[in-house]
Order: sequence, then C-alpha cells, then structure tokens
Amino acid sequence: MAESNSSTRFVFPRWANYMLPILVVSAIGGALYVPVLAQLVASPRTLDAGYAPEQPVQFSHALHAGQLGMDCRYCHVGVDKGPHSSLPATQICMNCHSLVKTDSPKLAAVFESWKSGKPVPWVRVHDLPDFVYFNHSAHVNRGVSCFECHGRVDQMDKIQQVAPLSMAWCLDCHREPAKRLRPLDEITNLGWKPPKEKKAADDLAVYLAKDQYHVRDSQYMTSCSLCHR
Amino acid sequence: MVAQIEKEFPGYTPEHISGTSRRSFMKLMGASMALAGLTLSGCRRWPEERLVPQTSNPEGRIPGLSEIYATVMEMNGVGHGLLAVSYQGRPIKVEGNPLHPMVRVNERHGSADAFAQASVLELYDPDRARGFYVREGNTYRASSVAAFREAAGTMFGGNGAGVLVISETSNSPTVLDMKKRFMSKFPQAKWVEWEPISNDNERVATQMAFGQVLRPLLKLDQADVVFSLDADLLGMHPAHTRYAADWASRRKSADQNRTMNRVYMAESQFSITGAVADARLGIRPSRAKLIITALAERLGVGGIKAAGTLEGNEQKFVEAAAADLKAAGNKAVITAGAHLAPDVQAVSFAINAALGATGNTVVLLPVPDADRPTHADGIKVAADALKSGNVKTLLIIGGNPAYDAPAELDLAKLIGGVTNSVHVSIYRNETSLAAHWNVPKAHYLEAWGDARGYDGTLSVAQPLIEPLFGGVSTIEVLAMLTGDQVTAGHDLVRRTIEPLLGGNDKELAFRRMMHDGVLAESAAKPVQVAAKPSPPPSPAVPGEGGSTLEVRFFADPSVFDGRYANSGWLQETPDPLTKLTWDNAALFSPKDAKALGINGGDMVKITVDGQSLEIAAFVQPGQPVGVIGLPLGYGRGAAGNVGSGLGFNTYKIRTSNTLFAAAGAQVSKLNTRYKLVTTQNDYILNMDHIGREGAEERIGAKHESGSVVRETTLAQYKQNPRAAHPKAHGNLNLQLFDPPSHFNDPHAWGMAVDMSTCIGCNACVVACVSENNIPVVGKPEVAEHRQMHWIRIDRYFKGTAEDPEPEIAFQPMLCVHCENAPCEQVCPVAATVHDSEGLNTMVYNRCIGTRYCSNNCPYKVRRFNYFDWHSLDPRGGRFPKPWLGIPDQQQVESIDAIKQMVFNPDVTVRMRGVMEKCTYCVQRIENVKIKAKNDHLAGKRDSELVQDGEVLTACQQACPTQAITFGNINDKNAWVTQLHQNPRSYSVLEELNTRPRTKFLAKLRNPNEALAEGHGAGEGKAALTPPPSGPGEGKKGTSFEGVNA
Repeated sequence: MAESNSSTRFVFPRWANYMLPILVVSAIGGALYVPVLAQLVASPRTLDAGYAPEQPVQFSHALHAGQLGMDCRYCHVGVDKGPHSSLPATQICMNCHSLVKTDSPKLAAVFESWKSGKPVPWVRVHDLPDFVYFNHSAHVNRGVSCFECHGRVDQMDKIQQVAPLSMAWCLDCHREPAKRLRPLDEITNLGWKPPKEKKAADDLAVYLAKDQYHVRDSQYMTSCSLCHR
Repeated sequence: MVAQIEKEFPGYTPEHISGTSRRSFMKLMGASMALAGLTLSGCRRWPEERLVPQTSNPEGRIPGLSEIYATVMEMNGVGHGLLAVSYQGRPIKVEGNPLHPMVRVNERHGSADAFAQASVLELYDPDRARGFYVREGNTYRASSVAAFREAAGTMFGGNGAGVLVISETSNSPTVLDMKKRFMSKFPQAKWVEWEPISNDNERVATQMAFGQVLRPLLKLDQADVVFSLDADLLGMHPAHTRYAADWASRRKSADQNRTMNRVYMAESQFSITGAVADARLGIRPSRAKLIITALAERLGVGGIKAAGTLEGNEQKFVEAAAADLKAAGNKAVITAGAHLAPDVQAVSFAINAALGATGNTVVLLPVPDADRPTHADGIKVAADALKSGNVKTLLIIGGNPAYDAPAELDLAKLIGGVTNSVHVSIYRNETSLAAHWNVPKAHYLEAWGDARGYDGTLSVAQPLIEPLFGGVSTIEVLAMLTGDQVTAGHDLVRRTIEPLLGGNDKELAFRRMMHDGVLAESAAKPVQVAAKPSPPPSPAVPGEGGSTLEVRFFADPSVFDGRYANSGWLQETPDPLTKLTWDNAALFSPKDAKALGINGGDMVKITVDGQSLEIAAFVQPGQPVGVIGLPLGYGRGAAGNVGSGLGFNTYKIRTSNTLFAAAGAQVSKLNTRYKLVTTQNDYILNMDHIGREGAEERIGAKHESGSVVRETTLAQYKQNPRAAHPKAHGNLNLQLFDPPSHFNDPHAWGMAVDMSTCIGCNACVVACVSENNIPVVGKPEVAEHRQMHWIRIDRYFKGTAEDPEPEIAFQPMLCVHCENAPCEQVCPVAATVHDSEGLNTMVYNRCIGTRYCSNNCPYKVRRFNYFDWHSLDPRGGRFPKPWLGIPDQQQVESIDAIKQMVFNPDVTVRMRGVMEKCTYCVQRIENVKIKAKNDHLAGKRDSELVQDGEVLTACQQACPTQAITFGNINDKNAWVTQLHQNPRSYSVLEELNTRPRTKFLAKLRNPNEALAEGHGAGEGKAALTPPPSGPGEGKKGTSFEGVNA
C-alpha cells in the first residue's frame, strides 16, 4: 500500500527530534553506570570501611589502649609470632577483671565465659577473603605499625574498620613501603609521627627500609604468591 | 556434528557431563544475570563471622601456627612412626617421623606412606561408627557406653568359658598386656587373631629353619645383589619404607662411586618391586619352590636339589642370579615372600646362611607375640568353635572377618548365629552388621596407644583430638571388660610403658618418648642363631603341568585388604601399575587374554575349586603368563557411602587352602562389559601411525632412551655419563625475542625428580592431596579425565604388547614451573603469572576458567574445577537435586562440617570454575620465609634467606626414596642445584624451550649383561608402546586399557 503518494509518506513526529539527545545521554549514562557502581557503591571503601558491628561485650579500646595505655600485645599475644593477631583468651581479661570492676554488668559476658568455659563469640571486623593470607608477624616485626591498617584504635570506643582492606589498598603500600615504616619500638605507638623535617623523615624511611628491615624490590613485594596460596 | 566430536574427543559424552543442553544453559545464564543485576546481590558484605578465642590459651600455642606431635599408626600389627600436624587442635596432615628407624629417610624427614597419609581423611570420615549400637530384631538402636558396660557384665563373666575373641593382630605392648589380663581373668576364653593379609607363613618358616619364631629384617643398604622371590619389598612389605629408602641409597650411589645394587625379582604378581627390578621373571605361584630350590642347587646349598626342571627363560634367570649372588657373597640377600609356603621360605634362609648373608644383610629379630597361633589356624579354630555352638559370647576386635575370612568358613553366618556378639570397629562394616553390639573404636589420632615398629621400636600414640564420634580404644574396651582398676587410655599405656623406660625419672622419660615419638634403643636386638640346615623340600611342585591358569590373591595398593575402602583419597589414587581407580579387576597377561578371547573391560567368570566369581578383566602387560591377579579388598557391602559396592569381592573364592594362590582356575567370558577407569592414557591425542612414532620417539623402545623418558644402564653410564640423552635438539639459542628469565630474587626455586629411584608408590600423590586440599571427583568424572591430582605418576611400558617382561619407567609429573611458561602466554586475565622467585603462580581469584592455559600446557599438569567438587558427593545421590538443574551447588550447598575439618587452612579451597595446579607448596615456602626473616631480624639466625632443606614440599617429604628434591637453585651448594648439574639431568620437552625449573634425572638400570643380550637379539628393535588395549583390539590402540570404548 501507499506507494508513491507523498502526502501519505511516513514522517517522524516532532518529538522524535529529542530522541538523539536522549540517546546520547542514556548512552553516556549507561557507560558510566557500571564504573560508578563498581567504584562507589560496590567498592570496599564504601562497603567495608566504617564497618562497626555490635560486639557481645562493649569493649572500649579507647579506654584500655588509649587512657590506660596498655600495649596492644598484652591482649593480642600472637601478633608478632604468628599469622593471626589472636583475640585475647577470657583468661587475659580476667587477669585484671578478677579484681577490677568485678560487678560491672558490661562484663557479664566475660564472667559468664570464664565460669562456663565457653568462649566469647566476638564479631569479626577485619575480614579478608579466604584466598588472602595476611600474616601479622611478617608486618609488625618489619616496621609496619598496627596503625597502618587499623587506624587510631586507641581512640575508638567501638572497634571499626577504617581501611578498605582491598587489594589495591594493600598494593599501595607494597609498592612503596618505605614511608610507612617506623622503628620497631614504635610499632604499637599508634600516635607516632615521623620527624617533621622532610629530610629527616626521608632519611629515616630509607634507613628503615634498606638497612633495618631489608625491604625487597617491588617486583618481589607485588608477587602474587606473597599473599595468595 | 556428534560424529565430529566423537572423532576429536573419543569417549566424550556431553550429556553425561552436564545434563543440560547448551540452549537451556544460555537461558538459565541469562535469567541469573538479570537476577544478579536486579538485586545487586554481588554488592553486599559477606556473612558475619565470629572469632572465638579459647577461654584460656594453652601455653605456647600461637593461633594460626600448626603444631607437630609424634605419634604412631599401627597397621596389620606393625607401627609406623608418624608426626601429626595439628592446626588449632585438629590434625590435618601426617608425616613420617625421622627419629623412627623404620620410616626414617634422612635426618630431616621420614616417609609416611599412602595409607598413613590417607588416615587423616579416615579420621574425619562422616561414615565412621558414631556411638554404640545394639541390635533389636532386625534393626539397630543407638545405645550408650553405660548400657554396654552393663550388658558386658552379663556377657563376660565367670571363668570365660564360652567366650571367643577374634582380634586383629597387634604388636602393641599395651594390647598384649591387656590380652594377658583378659586371659587371666577369663582363663577358659579362646583368643585368636585374624588378618587376611598375613605374614604368618614366615613365622612357620623361621620356626622350621631356626627352631624359633623370628622376623627377618633385610639391610638393603648393605646388599649388592638382592634376589626376591615374590616379596614386594618396596610395595606391600610391612617394612617397605625402610626398604625403599635403603634400596634407593644403593641406586643413588651410581652418581658418587658408579656402583649400584642389582635386584632380581621372580614374582607371580606384577608389583612395583618387579617394576623397578633390574631383572624380572614372571612366574606361576606354583613355580616358586622350583625357582628357589634350583637357585639353592646352583649355589650348592646344603644338598638341596631342584624340585623339577626349569624352562628356558627361568633357567637363564636363575643362572644369572646364581652367578651374581655367588660373586656378592655376604653382600647378597635372598628373600622369599612372607605369604609363600614355609618350606619355600626356609630354603631362602638356608641360602642366606650359606652365602654368609645371615647376620650381615639379613638380621633376625625376635617377635613379641611368638606364642600365638597363626592367623590361618586361628580363624579355623574360631570357625570350629562357632560351629560347635559352644560360643556364648563373641568379641571381635577390629578387623572385618565377616567379609575377609576364608570363604568356605562362612563366618558372616556363624557370627550372626551368636547371641552375645560384640564388634569393636572404627566403621560399622559387614561384621558389625552381623554382630549384636557395635562398639565404636577410636581412631589412632583420637586415643592413647602404643605400637612396635617392624624392627621392634616402641612408640606411643598420643591423641590429638577428642574422639569425634564417641569412640573408645581397644585397650579401653578390654579394661572395661576385665573390670580393670585403670580405665583411661593414657594410664593403661603408662602402666605398660613405664617398666620399659630407663632411668629414675619415669615422668621425664615418658615425656621424652612422647616428644620423640620413639623410645630410644628400643629396637629388638638381633638374635644370633646357627642356621640349621634347611629341611629337604617336599618333592612335588603343586599344580605343575603349567597349562592350567592359576589365580593369585594380593592386597590392593589402594584399599589394602579392604579396610581403606571408604577413603576417597585412596580410591581415586591410581593403582601404581594398572592405573585403575575406584575398582579392582582380574589382571590377565596379554597372552592369556588373547588365548581366552578377552578384552579389557569384559566380564569374566572365574571358577576355582567350585567357587566362582564374576569380575571385570583387565589386560596388564607384564602380568605373569598363566596367572590371574586378583586384588583383594573390593566389593564391600558395608564400607560406607564412598566404598560400598565398588569393584568385585575376590574373597568369595579365597579359601583357607588358597590364601595366596590357587591352581586350576577356569575362566569363561561373559557377554557383558564393565567400565573400568584407568588414568594412564589421559591426554593421549591420537594413536595413528604418526602418533605412535611420536610416542616411540618420546618414550623410547625397550633398552633405549626416549626424549621424554630417558634412561641408560650403569655400564653405559660409567663410560659416558651423558649416555641417557639421545640426541641434541635444535638450537634453542636462536630466539626471536628474549624469553623471560631471572626469576631469582632472592631465591630461585627449583626441583629435581630422580626417575632412577621413583618406585611409583603413590605416597607423594596422597601427600599432595592431603596438603593441598585436592578434591575427590569420583569414578564417572575420572572417566572424563577430570581427576584433580596435582602430581601424577606416569607409568611407561617399554616393549611389545606381548612381551612378558616389559621394561617400566615411573615418571612423576607435576607442574615443572617453566620460566618461559606456555600457560602464562595464553591466559587472557593474567591469572597465572610468575613471581620473582620463579614460581609459576596460579591466582584463583583472577581465573575466569577459559582453560586456555591447560590446553597450552605441554605437560598436562593443570586441573580444572568443573564443579564444586568438595561440596559434591563422589558417589552422587547424597545431596538434593541442584537448584534449577544446574549441576553445581556453588555457595548454596556448603561443605559438610566434618569434611571441612580435614582442610589445610594454609591453602585456598578452590571453587568451581577455576584452574589449579602444583604450586611447589607455596604455603610451605612462604611460612618458612616469614619465619626465617622474623628470626633474622630478631637476631636468631645469620641469614634471612631460606637454607637448604628448610622447605620440603609435601611430595618430597612423603617420598621414601628421596626421588624428589626441592630447593633454592641460587644456592650452589643446595642439593637440588647439585642434582640439576648431574649429568643425568634433563628437562622434559626441552625442545619447546619452556625452561622448566623441575629437572628430571634419567633412569639408571643395572641389568645383567648375560640376560640383556638374550632379550635384544631375539626381538630386534622392539616396537613400542603403547600396545593395543587388548589383544586383537587394534582400534585406537591408545592403551593397555581397561577403559572400554
């Protein structure tokens, strides 16, 4: 039908003129959608940093590590010996709390655990994927402070994750570790600052990386087998 | 198209594999993508995890670091000293204890064999006996230890009249002590022992020859010439680890001083000892006496005359052996299989004495339980007692006599006829289901115990974990039954051990013993005996005439006598010689098979003495002509979810008179076929004449070196150390661009595999499975070549299909970590890349499963997770039907909680859709590296570099012959570096310029020239391998097969 009659020829309606810009906008939007989703919404920075679940005991690091100035290793005994930092056994809590605050309702779960022999089921905050093998002793014995991954724990009332703990974030440091190193006796001093003067700071970084900790080159430090097994 | 697929991939059946067509797969994938997008289900934090510290931490335990405890595993009455690795309280791996003289390999490590390695899986087997059970009518009701104790009070009373005990054999001092106490409390009770695989004929033989029961221990490291008559010294012998290590030390000596031992093996069943022997003769079981007496005659021993006449090749063999033995004098050793008739073995003792070997290369040790009746007599006594109806109470300790006792005794029925019967067993097996009470036995990793090694070395077994299923140990049960004041396993062991400890501080001495795993100097002292002249052997050779077929029963290398049938690790481990998995089969020599018109996979009916058995046939080159090999241990009815119903029960035709062999077998071919699955021919591309020529070039004809499988003889090696390397390949220095190199910072990892000492024993394979969380896939998937083993042992035959004595070479093959790796070049996502120390790493979380790497790998060592193997049941049918019919339960069905416990936490458990392969045990390397550097920074050691021998790969640690060496090739003094510079060393497929980090050392044989000449001349250039699958079956010709087309 309708051959050769120009008056019945199909003409795009006027609103069709808007189609082109709409198409362009949605194409750009669509192209941006996935990266934006991946970078902002699904990123560990968004999903994981700031994670602070309720714990069975309202333990305050700010009080213990901050105000009382207890060393991290008093409770996290395995941190410089094995792969895990190791959570304190109930016994470690009881070392003090058999004498201190023995009637505090906040400690009910600890006393219960001590009495029953059942452990306190802490909620894991810093959780790496199962194919990643992070070794605490390999870091804290080589000048990487707790602070680098865990932040100012000594100021946290409720423990929370501050770093994204993503692989890109790990590699930031593994590619350029020198600046993040500190002397061995300052490892658990979370408030430590490198010397203010730039040259002194740089010299210290170089000294620590090269002479004290023998940090290897970035090809070694970024080998897959270092963390994945 | 189907025809084309069949042409390209013979045997490939897509429907079997997925059960889903491509079209429905695309539909489902589309739907799931849409769902994923809708719910953003990928963008959520993973499930909350709990951290549970102990309420009080045991001193010295660092969470995340494994601990090692010495212990001992008793198997068939012989203790194997082990080190058990415990991670957070759960044992996950066992190794050999280097302080135990029977498993010691060198100062750094001992070897735990395949059975010991697999014992960890047994511990966590969900099918194990869980709790006490008592029969009520036709069913069993769960009961309790208290109820059993009460019932036992009535069952075991008075002076024990009417009480019969059938026990598995044990040399444990505490078990023997408890037995003594039991017998003194119940003096009228009868106590017999039964083991289907028994060395008791050796007891009779030593009694005959020396007037007392003794145990010969060979010193193979002292022996220049070894003559073995049907004794599988390196395989199934109770001291095989020691023997393998000693044998290997005399093979490796070729490199140092150009000497080697020479092993003669006359055997009625093809064994791995025969496979690595320098001269091998396949004989009928009935010829054993003739061979040994003829040998004695030629050596002029005590007036012994040959019990018949030798045939042509037998004569040549015996004469060559006699000449060598005579020359070696007291550096020779003769041994006869412990299953052989006592008079045959007695002759071997006489020869040893005549040669001066006794006390030199053969020492005779006392045995702790010399006064007990033999197993064969014991079970007959038990059966008679049961038949007479006088047995009121039957106690069966361990074992499975209802399944494995001689067939004519019909013990299952007899046991069922006793009202008060108790079976103490780790599994609820056939015997349990005939017994009234089922008592769960604790695993050796769960209970206190002790055991003596083959040489008498005493070890304590200490529990590493509470009994998972409420098991009790044998000694605890006996303490319960005798009303002993002492009830706890630890105290019982302590009571027996303490008097044996030296010194005043018993506590210290006991702790020392637990720490070391052995009591120092506790090995039995050799007995000095004047070798009595051997009694004149009875004249007739049974079953002579030689025309009838004989059957030969032997312990299966995977399941032993059937006790390990429910171990998926062992079932999936290919048999060393047949490479069969998940099955046993009647083994026929190619000649017999041809005469009978049998092809591999045919069902046959074998009738011996009126008892008959239907079983699948497998054509096995090298199987002695006229002998049908029947592996025991399969066809289990109540093994468990994995082992029940696999293979064929050969016990059905094994009677008291034919425990090891029987003559006069009738074989008829049935018209049915059975699918046997063997792995040797996986990855063979095609076998037209081009493929055949290629294979011949790579494997080499008999007595010749191939490009992949290189070998030479000691004589040639002496003249030219590089004699094994056939010809140079093209110039590999002319490259278009520089291949990647310099992966050597700070270490350069490398491996050396010595084919000269590999005996194909599979210890490495199971060790690797245990160390690296390798899944079991099941028989249907192995049939699709989907087994996941990171290390396989290639077994190459050389010679024609009909050759009765083909040559064999074992070549362990694992990822060789090419510097110029073909896999890395084709991975689209860089999921496999090199690290700075030369490891070809596999990054699971990057892998998208294209499988290009596997296709491009010339060594065929990469394995793909087609399914989520760990959460699937290898036998199928246990888990619910998968969601939407997709054959996978990824992250829907979690892995069974008990099965999870066996995992090594240092190794990622791989999921569906990723590739995996040997990592050189990267987890061990990293752990040692971290510790070394920590210690160095703490000033505890000089170098932060890993020293030679600090890192042992799992396969290396398990190897009894040190065929595998791993280390840092930057270190000029490292053992591995020395081996790389050995003139025998070569790279497999070096013409591809892959530059592997694993080098192989050519095999050395030490044949007797007198024998070798005869061979070659008659046959000319032997056409090689692989001969057709079955006689007359030229088609495809890929194999010696059992895989049926």
